[in-house]
Amino acid sequence: MSSPNGNLNPKTRKYFISRRVDSIFISLHDVYQFIIRFFKEAALPPYELKELSRQCYEVGYRSLPLISLTGFITGFVFTNQSRPSLSEFGATSWLPSLISIAVVRALAPLVTALIAAGKVGSNMGAELGSMKVTEQIDAMEVSATNPFKFLVVTRVMATTFMIPLLVVYTAMVGLLGSYLSVHANEQTSWPAFFTQVFESISFLDLFSTMIKSTIFGFTIGLVGCYQGYNSSKGTEGVGRAANSAVVAAMFLIFIEEIIIVQIVNAIRIA
Amino acid sequence: MKSENKRSVLVGIFILVGILLFVGGVLTLGGKQKRFVKTITLTAIFDNIGGLQTGSNIWYSGVKIGTVKKIKFTGNSQVEVTLNIEEESQKFIGRDSKARLSSDGLIGNKIIEIYNGNPRNGIVEDGDQLHVEKALSTEDMMKTLQENNKNLLGITSDFKLLSLKIKRGEGTIGAFLSDSLLAEHFKSIVSNLQMASTNTNNVTQQVSKFASKLNNKSGLANQLLTDTAVFRNLKTSVAELHKATTSAALLSENLKNVSNRLDDKNNAIGVLLNDPEAAATLKGTLGNLETSTKKLDENMEALQHNFLLRGFFKKKAKQQLKDSLAVSQK
Repeated sequence: MSSPNGNLNPKTRKYFISRRVDSIFISLHDVYQFIIRFFKEAALPPYELKELSRQCYEVGYRSLPLISLTGFITGFVFTNQSRPSLSEFGATSWLPSLISIAVVRALAPLVTALIAAGKVGSNMGAELGSMKVTEQIDAMEVSATNPFKFLVVTRVMATTFMIPLLVVYTAMVGLLGSYLSVHANEQTSWPAFFTQVFESISFLDLFSTMIKSTIFGFTIGLVGCYQGYNSSKGTEGVGRAANSAVVAAMFLIFIEEIIIVQIVNAIRIA
Repeated sequence: MKSENKRSVLVGIFILVGILLFVGGVLTLGGKQKRFVKTITLTAIFDNIGGLQTGSNIWYSGVKIGTVKKIKFTGNSQVEVTLNIEEESQKFIGRDSKARLSSDGLIGNKIIEIYNGNPRNGIVEDGDQLHVEKALSTEDMMKTLQENNKNLLGITSDFKLLSLKIKRGEGTIGAFLSDSLLAEHFKSIVSNLQMASTNTNNVTQQVSKFASKLNNKSGLANQLLTDTAVFRNLKTSVAELHKATTSAALLSENLKNVSNRLDDKNNAIGVLLNDPEAAATLKGTLGNLETSTKKLDENMEALQHNFLLRGFFKKKAKQQLKDSLAVSQK
């Protein structure tokens, strides 16, 4: 029996299973270590509140125009695209309910998370990557500043707190866009639209959306920082860190979405 | 430092507005779903709830008054539905109310409708069980529809037969449509009818003229109908007339009495009129009176020629002559 590393003796062989499989598990372990370190550093003082505030500004406030525009367009377009299929049943009066469920349950958190992954995640990956490459992080360590606490914890916390807020804004702006379309085509009044919107969603929807967006925020921050913090040397490493921050974050967001939807539906039926 | 302050303020505003929006949404949702409203619990047992779910709406007179709290099996494969009803609406729901399964719209969500209750017979209390009436399911509707379809088919096939017969000229309608003689008759009937209608038109015109005359303000009828003074006068006249007839009746009564008494013998005139004996006596008396007057006449004649009184009579004759002469001269 031969093994890829060519050595059967467990004490002397170079890889546990194979180089690739080993690297996957090693990176999983690294991520696990990274997360544990994050919670440990976040819980212990001193707290970098000023930097946290700056990151909140970057992640939350600076993303607001882009997110609002995207949310508005999503609501407007989704309403317009749903109308033909509902009008086949003569059920265009149900548009507000449909939009409300779609926006609150799925569109607002997803759109916000994806846009934030593109804008904020890539930014973090590139920023931390270039700091790593230019050895600024090492310099910080030397100057008795905890670079993990200062750079990673603040960023991850900022995305974790800001994405849910951005989701609230997106949902509101999306519903506004939807209202404009519904009002223009079905002459539905604002109170009627408003009533229907809130009649068709439940507390479970609201809280699952909040929890979902918190997890999305955490994922975006964590992936961005992990990729940047662990980027390989050289300018190529920076580009790769930024790229993989976005790709991995988006991929994870969809995986999380599926899992959370399953759990919420199980709770909804029970 | 200044820009850092500004940044912090902006972040603060951003967070505050976001949280306010979220809390507003939660409160609105709570308000819509009546989560923070006091409720009472009612139950209803259905044979089949047709896909009703926890959280489905409950309507009373078309108004949402609560939601379905719990659904569970009970007894003989029946379903017990627990209803959360707002305490505010409790006083409007009679103890005799019934519950039925319904839907908001043709393909809408399942709801429970409470209806037919009279709060005067006592209102529902917490924990009461409502009577349930079996609602029409879609299958029932389809069944009825199928029955309708069959009936429709029967009707249309009957009509087909009928139209065939008509086409062939069978039956009254068929004859009517195909017989030319009948058509002629019909034509004449129609022309007669036209004439009749012309006449009727004339008559109505005249009636209308008459009516307009009646409406003429100076006309008696109009005054009778509109002028209250005339009516009052008429009323008084009638009253007077009534009085007059009453007195006339009284008079005739009196007259009758009088004539009755005339027939009687126990009064003077009655005796005169009715007693033949008295008449004979009266006749005798009258005869005696005549002879006495004749004799008196003779006596008087004799007296004129008496010397004691002759002068007076001569004087009287002279005076009479004088008077007659004066009259003739005039």
